[in-house]
Amino acid sequence: MRILIRDAEILDSTSKHHLKRKNILIENGVITFIGSRIPKADKVIKGKDLKASKGWFDMFAWFGDPGFEVKEDLESGTNAAAHGGFTGVALLPNTKPVIQTKNDISYLLSGNPGRITEVFAVASVTENNLGEDLTEMIDLHTAGAVAFSDGLKPIWLTDIMLRSLQYLKKFDGLLINKPEDLRLNMFGVMHEGKTSTGLGMKGMPRLAEEVMIARDLQLLAYTGGKIHLANISTPNALNMIRKARKNGLRVTCDVAAHQFVLDDTRLHDFDTHYKVNPPLREQADIQALIAGLKDGTIDAIVSSHQPQDEECKKLEFDYASFGMTGLQTVLPYMQGISGKIGWDTLIEKVTSNPRKILNLEDIPVQKGNKANITIFDPEDTWLFDEKTNMSKSGNSPLLGKELKGKVVAVFNNKKHLIIG
Amino acid sequence: MSQLSVRHLLGIKELTIDDIELIFETASNFKEIINRPIKKVPSLRDITIANVFFESSTRTRLSFELAEKRLSADVINFSSSTSSVKKGETLLDTVNNILAMKVDMVVIRHSSPGAPHFLARHIKANIVNAGDGTHEHPTQALLDTFSMRLHFGSLKGLKVAIIGDIMHSRVAISNIFALQKLGAEVMVCGPNTLIPIHISELGVKVELEVRKALEWCDVANILRIQLERQQIKYFPSLREYALYYGVNKQLLDSIKKEILIMHPGPINRGVEISSDVADSDHSIILEQVENGVAIRMAVLYLLADSPLAN
Repeated sequence: MRILIRDAEILDSTSKHHLKRKNILIENGVITFIGSRIPKADKVIKGKDLKASKGWFDMFAWFGDPGFEVKEDLESGTNAAAHGGFTGVALLPNTKPVIQTKNDISYLLSGNPGRITEVFAVASVTENNLGEDLTEMIDLHTAGAVAFSDGLKPIWLTDIMLRSLQYLKKFDGLLINKPEDLRLNMFGVMHEGKTSTGLGMKGMPRLAEEVMIARDLQLLAYTGGKIHLANISTPNALNMIRKARKNGLRVTCDVAAHQFVLDDTRLHDFDTHYKVNPPLREQADIQALIAGLKDGTIDAIVSSHQPQDEECKKLEFDYASFGMTGLQTVLPYMQGISGKIGWDTLIEKVTSNPRKILNLEDIPVQKGNKANITIFDPEDTWLFDEKTNMSKSGNSPLLGKELKGKVVAVFNNKKHLIIG
Repeated sequence: MSQLSVRHLLGIKELTIDDIELIFETASNFKEIINRPIKKVPSLRDITIANVFFESSTRTRLSFELAEKRLSADVINFSSSTSSVKKGETLLDTVNNILAMKVDMVVIRHSSPGAPHFLARHIKANIVNAGDGTHEHPTQALLDTFSMRLHFGSLKGLKVAIIGDIMHSRVAISNIFALQKLGAEVMVCGPNTLIPIHISELGVKVELEVRKALEWCDVANILRIQLERQQIKYFPSLREYALYYGVNKQLLDSIKKEILIMHPGPINRGVEISSDVADSDHSIILEQVENGVAIRMAVLYLLADSPLAN
């Protein structure tokens, strides 16, 4: 089948067509033509302001498979990912059982040949995510784990963090830590600030994130190796990372897409959809995060997809679970800041950068290459509702809303998805 | 204006100054009525009110129940120790079950901030917040400011110090909002670990010395140490608290002005307040309790008249 993408701006700094408007022809999963003339095709994709990039990659998402399939399984999760523009997604190990043996990894990866969105495994650093005993990381690496992390949980014990970093050096493995001092955040349900004070809710101070980042960077300076700090949310966190990089430390970081747009005042009426960890912070934090995207301190934008069923969200605020779905709303959130940051920069944060961090193949949008491509229209709108939501869960504050920024098509693995 | 701008009393934050004035005016009428030999009025006949308390309470529950009965409402009481909540039923299911029995208004106390807001979003009844965790306790703030107003005439420029466990106090937050709306100045005072770090962003002064707070204020609203709501240890001992943050007669006598003493109760005598202060002429603690019934009658009466109830 020949599919033609008409008049799309190519956003790929590794391609010679970067920032040029071209027609792209894809035949049986391969890019066979990029140019100005209009080749014959079986299907033509058109739009007002189409953009084409490498297929997007999300390096921080959680599916409940295995164990919590009622929230999200591999099929629904990868489908949501594809509809969100992602052709690759790295899954967190906080499942039941935890992803910590080569069998667990092959369970995740075995379906990949049939998937348009391929799944990559982040294996647990510690047994059962308990933060105490190291998993067999060399074996897990051999089985295909792309990184090691306790996922949604921070690596709490300092000595365990130290030994993980040391152990991973054998194969220059990547440790991902979501920094959070659990004692400083104890019983916290939202960002600590004016809003939480007025709402009488226990706060999660910026300090809780920063204290652990300071610790992690000290440890990294001691051990060498590399670390990726996940879901950063404060200006000071960014400053520490900037400084560490200047000093030669190999540290990267990501920020959840919603964190660039939503602030803590959204919680004014106790809507549990906004209960996330790290919590939504303040406008000043948002501005600092946007600056961090611009100057390159923030390497990746992630979905931080955390589907929760209604039973976990339709509750009193204290009792509701943390997390919102994110895979299908990364583009609308990026759209929200695209006035301040160019699309070419934004797209790098969901394509080449996460792949580089995870040491994965990054295929340019170039004639003769395998088609691993996302086509989107930042100006087009769509309704995000029960029908278009592909996740099993609906815990997004955007559900039911008309959103700007539409994924039009994704190509990968000789497959394609065209979204009507 | 004879109607509130809200259908529920979720917090002081949601009220306009006009709402507060209307509640005060209505409460004044009811206060006069409940001092007559025949205290009951037929205003809420055929209205059924459920008092749903998921946290222990003596005075607030009695005060609401009395207010409801004085208004001739039908009243049912429900507390979590005897409920199905302990069997794993959700709040929403519990309250919907009560509503299925044709209840018009729900007075709710709950340990989780926002629980009344959550109910208001999901069920069809007027909701009255009787205290939601460490968030708000609007009827308490209304009765406190109502009591101050009876004493001072106006709250404009009045200096009110709230002393004690600010962090775990819904009374503090509701009082701050109400006092500010009515033009008073507010200071909070207590051990630094019990003062939310961002409280000054709400426009209040912060003081760590009780003596200085007392020297500054016209009214001292002394809060109870909320031992049951402290999940972590915030100060070393009640002994040290009583010594350095307790208000006693000796301390008050050493300050060269008269201060009105208030306390939302229940009192920990000898901890945050000494008996000779609680029982002194400067204390209006029992007046607060009396005004509480009138305020709650006003709130229920006005909400019953709101569009939803019709």
